[in-house]
Amino acid sequence: MVDLTQLHDAILRGDAKKAVAVTREALAENVSPTELVSKHMIPAMDEVGRRFECQEYFVPELLLSARAMKGALELIRPLLVEQGVASVGRVIIGTVKGDLHDIGKNLVASMLEGAGFEVIDLGTDIAPGKIVSEILERKPNIVALSALLTTTMPFMKNTIEELKKAGVREQVKVMIGGAPVTQQYADQIGADGYSDNANGAVAIARRLVGG
Amino acid sequence: MHLKLISCEIFYRELCAAVSRSPNTVDIEFLPKGLHDIGCASMLARLQEVVDRVEAGKYEAVLLGYGLCNNGIVGLSAKATRLVVPRAHDCITLFLGGRQKYLDYFSSHPGVYFKTTGWIERGDSQGELRQLSIQRRIGLDMSYEELVEKYGEDNARYLWDEVCDLGRNYRQLTFIEMGVEPDDRFERQTREEAAARGWEFEKVKGDPSMIQRFVDGCWDAQEFLIVQPGGRIAPTHEEDIISLDAP
Repeated sequence: MVDLTQLHDAILRGDAKKAVAVTREALAENVSPTELVSKHMIPAMDEVGRRFECQEYFVPELLLSARAMKGALELIRPLLVEQGVASVGRVIIGTVKGDLHDIGKNLVASMLEGAGFEVIDLGTDIAPGKIVSEILERKPNIVALSALLTTTMPFMKNTIEELKKAGVREQVKVMIGGAPVTQQYADQIGADGYSDNANGAVAIARRLVGG
Repeated sequence: MHLKLISCEIFYRELCAAVSRSPNTVDIEFLPKGLHDIGCASMLARLQEVVDRVEAGKYEAVLLGYGLCNNGIVGLSAKATRLVVPRAHDCITLFLGGRQKYLDYFSSHPGVYFKTTGWIERGDSQGELRQLSIQRRIGLDMSYEELVEKYGEDNARYLWDEVCDLGRNYRQLTFIEMGVEPDDRFERQTREEAAARGWEFEKVKGDPSMIQRFVDGCWDAQEFLIVQPGGRIAPTHEEDIISLDAP
């Protein structure tokens, strides 16, 4: 019988191959998918987050653990869908217009996927109009916006204004982040959430979907 | 006027040239390039210390040779002498001669990275500031080889592609010629770097007039913020970039 502490450890170590292999074995042995997620994988990611907050882990470790988590979740998700278990929430994420920086955005996207969110990554240099059309088409719970430069930050405000004009602002929660972005700015433009790091972004996203 | 100028060394040649032509007597103190990478709290602390050290009553104004620079001047306060601060996101505004020129160029050239003499010859990329940089502190300031050594080949490839390859967020190098270059060595170096990375290269003429107005004392409120003693700098996130913090 498969030793499920190995799944926990593989995620903690960021060993994607091992995490996928153990998950496959467990599913073949008919271990409940929800049990795998709630008893082994989420506690492992929570521990990763704790180590990051204590500066025992840094961004690379965070990202490798999220990758391992994502690999295992890809096997599990179809089974959860079959059982009618909904994803934690759907997020569309992108870097705002004029800004091609994607590192922070990629990191947050990976962490959200690792936390069980369905993430649609629109990429960089995303015009407000594109966000509006994606909201209409994909019906996300959350819109996550990134900017690295103070020159491009105003597009976060523009995007929120466009969402209001298009009448879709109330359909989504908006969270923002990026090196120059602050909680004060989030309050100023009426964003629903802000975090200064990718681990914190997961907590914000969970709060925004009421989880 | 007798002025004190505290500036990032990125402007070394341009400020020396402007000061040499200025009707004012300007004492310059240059600080190392790269403070914008150490986080806004640390950058602020360093700048505030230098501003606070300026002898009271000696100067008619203290000029701050910085833009908003990743919020590194947010919260900076004037001590005994008023501060004059360019309304600029960063140094490129001053090199191009105004924030509208910068925004026009920036928005029509996505993924542009700028070079000037100071960008090339100033700063110590292996020194103290690199050790203190945010990139270093969060574990992203690593070469591909260092990643392989620490995390193994497969993980290194993934990390490199996802978050460590800082270069892929750019597609163009633009050399700003300021008229302070001895010859074409800086331009050539930029052109070669662009070719090596497979990026576009462009040379544009800079405009030193805003730098000249800065040291000459032509401080139009549209272009410069004046912070009286006790006042504090705040970001506006609007077109005027900075303002006084509400008391």
